Parts: sequence; C-alpha cells; structure tokens
Amino acid sequence: MQLRRVVITGMGSVSPFGRGVAALTDGIEAGRSAVRKMEGWGQYLGLRSLVGAPAEMKDEKLIPRLNRRSMGRLSIFAVQAAQDAVADAGLDPALATTGRMGCVVGSTTGSAISISQAFETMLPDHDLTKLSSMQFFHCISHTATMNVAQCLKLNGWVMATSAACASAMQAIGAGYDLIRLGRQDVMLCGGAEELHPTVTGSFDVLFATSVKYNDTPEQTPRPFDRDRDGLVCGEGGGILVLEDYEHAVKRGAPILAEILGYHTCSSGDHVSESSRPAMVTCMHEALRAAQLEPGQVDYVNAHATATMQGDKEEAEAIAEVFGAKVPVSSLKGYIGHTLGASAAIELAASFAGIRKGLLYPTLNLQNVSPECQGVGHIMGGALKREARVVVKNSFAFGGISAVLVCRMG
Amino acid sequence: MTKEEIIKLTNKVFEDAFEIDPEKLTPQAKIFDELGLDSLDIVDLIVALQKQFKVQIREDERVRTIRTLEDVYNFILILKQEEEKK
Repeated sequence: MQLRRVVITGMGSVSPFGRGVAALTDGIEAGRSAVRKMEGWGQYLGLRSLVGAPAEMKDEKLIPRLNRRSMGRLSIFAVQAAQDAVADAGLDPALATTGRMGCVVGSTTGSAISISQAFETMLPDHDLTKLSSMQFFHCISHTATMNVAQCLKLNGWVMATSAACASAMQAIGAGYDLIRLGRQDVMLCGGAEELHPTVTGSFDVLFATSVKYNDTPEQTPRPFDRDRDGLVCGEGGGILVLEDYEHAVKRGAPILAEILGYHTCSSGDHVSESSRPAMVTCMHEALRAAQLEPGQVDYVNAHATATMQGDKEEAEAIAEVFGAKVPVSSLKGYIGHTLGASAAIELAASFAGIRKGLLYPTLNLQNVSPECQGVGHIMGGALKREARVVVKNSFAFGGISAVLVCRMG
Repeated sequence: MTKEEIIKLTNKVFEDAFEIDPEKLTPQAKIFDELGLDSLDIVDLIVALQKQFKVQIREDERVRTIRTLEDVYNFILILKQEEEKK
C-alpha cells in the first residue's frame, strides 16, 4: 500500500503571548517572559509554586452562544487556534462537511476550572440540582476536540488524545496516520490546556514545579540551566492543519513543512521518572520512520520543562542521538509549559522562526547545568541559520515519549 | 413577591444566562421558537430560576407545560403563592 505524504499547511495558536502565531514569535524575539506571579494562589496551603504563564482570553463572544456554552476555557483556546489555523491554510469552509476533514485535539483533562467548579457546586450539600447541563461538556476528556468539531462543523474523524504533556504531539501523530492511510484528507491537530491551581498543584505535590522564583517570575523556568528548579505551567491552544500533499498541491496551498516521521512509545518503567533510554528509542524510531540519519537534522526543539531530572535525561538522550553539533533549544522559558498544548504551540513558533531564518534560543539558559552538557544549546540570542529538518520532542508523565520529524517546505 | 418583580428577575435570567436581547423579552415570546433555547438550555433555565427565586422546580411536572415567557412568569408566581400559603 502506497502511503500518502502529509504536509502542514496552516497554524494557529493562543499562547501566553496572546492570540496568533505572530504574537507568539514577537514575544519570543523580544526575549520576553510571559511568566508572572499568580494572584490569589497564596491561599492554597501547600502550594509552593505561585508562578504561571496565563493566556488572555479575548473575543470569545464572537463564538455563537450555542457553540460557546459547551466550552470551558481550554476549548475556547482550541477553537480560536483552530479558526486561525483554518484561515492560515486558506481552507474552503465547505470542506468541513465533506466527511474528509476531521480533528484530533488533546488535553490533559477537561477544563480544570469547570471540574473544580463542578465539585465546588455539588459537594458542599451533596446536591446535583445546582449543576448546569453544560458542566459535563466542559469537564469531559474530549471537550476540546468535540468543541472544535462542532464549532467548525466538521463531520469527519473526531478523536481526543489524553497523554498529559504529550497530548498535542500524539494528536499530530494520529492525524498524520489518518491522512497517510488515506482515511482523511485534512486534519486539525493539536492541543489545549488551562492554568489553574489544581494543575500546578498536581506537579507541585510531586516536587516538579519551580518554587524559588515566586518574586522574580521572569527568571523561571530555566530549561537546561544550572539554577533551574522545576516547571512553570502555562496555558493556551495550538492547532496545526495537516493535509494530504496532493490535496494541498491541487488547491495551491502554502506548504509550511512536511511530516517525515513520527514515533511514540512508553518507557514501561516508571510513571513519573524520565527515561533516557525511552527518549533515545523514540528519537531513533522517528528518524528511522523519516529515513533520515541524525546528522541530517538541523534543529531539535526540546521538550525541556526545566525539571531537574527531565532536562538531564533529555540532554543526555539528545547528546546520545545527535551529539553536540545540532542546535537545540526549549521555548518554555518564554511561555512556561503549556502541557497538552505545548507540542503544537512550540512547533508553530519553531516553524515561524525558521521561515524567518531564526532558531530561537532558550530563555533563562545562562549557565548550562553540568548534567545538561554535550548538546548544541542555543543561548543568548537567536541563531541565524537555515534549517531544513526539524525534530520536535514531547514527553509526558506516564512514561510517554513522542517525537516528530519534519522537513520545512 | 409581585409579578413585576418576577418579570424583572426572570428577564434578567434570560439576558444573563442566554444572552437574549431585552427587546425580545415580551410575554408572548415563545421560549424555543423565538428565543432560541433548546433542550439543554431548559436544564440551565431551571437551575437559574431555582437560584434566582430559591424554589425547587426540577421535579415539578408543570415545567413541561411552559411555552412562553408569560408561562414562566405565571409559574413562578404560582410557586411563590404556594410558598406563602405554607
């Protein structure tokens, strides 16, 4: 069976730098940090990390009420990113109802805010009569993808991935396979996430968050840095338009990149400890699928969240696969860890930068940690270099690795 | 509670929860056909009315007969009168 080629023809994002990929790259190119001290978080006993990278929600009322009512915050981010991605790709809206266009959008959970509200409403009096009919639709695991499909009137394949911080990457991988296999022509793929004390708290109880920079939030997270102390949660949505190559060429679509290879695997070892061997395997398998050697890769966009163990394992894994010559950076110093949205948002930023001839540096990486040496860190300023082949890493709790290999269009 | 107060508070529910233009909130307005509510909205209308008027109507069979905004006003008025009798 001849597998079809899959290209990326559109991108959309809502990030802590605002709506739009241009806003995202503007923030990165200005070297800004979107991390701030979160108001009101001090009231939570035991929450040590009081920083976050919030995204501003704007223009949500432009979404018709009958669509919007089933959306929590993360679904609004997903829908706005999807609308922008579709516009960026120049897709004919009529394609939505052909059955040949669908979506895979992931998130760690449903709306964290709505889940919290549901419990706060129901539990004090153990009374279900106060619950809105929409609470269910906000809280379910496939809320983002369901809302994207409904709002954009898609009637093709609709699926949700739920692999925490690798959700968006697995969504892209799933969409890639559907198009390769000829089951769909166009897929909107990515993820969305929202910031809430329960989200940061879930990492905080595991001692994975940044806690030393509550009064200097712009200095954290610090991927690969000697003084890193953990991750900072962000929020937003990122959507890429994946399209059958022939379909894209036929309609004269701009081709941003072609997906050459993808792999995802489990460490089968530990639910929270990062696994260098699994990361290495995942990168090798993605490269093998792409029929490329490590030496042919021009840039690695790392997952690197600035946790002590995760960054060490990833740096060692990248060093093992690519050596020290391939430029590497993480974008989490700018926008925090947007969790289930991160792979899509960071791919969009990376592609946009590369189209301008820029490989973005890792913000807050000032002194490379001794345990993160051996890779080609981009520090200080953007690296002005043409890049053709890009590798994107995405790792998640649960021992999950996911890696994508793309060639710029 | 007077009927005027009930009308004012009910209309506020329709404006706030369902984003309906106040000009459309006439007593004869049909809730489904003219105000655009659907079956899911009715669940939320009940929740909002219960909160606004501190009444229990979720299990009340009379809810099923409501068609217009006037029906809502009258239903709440009856509930309030029944409450006073108790």
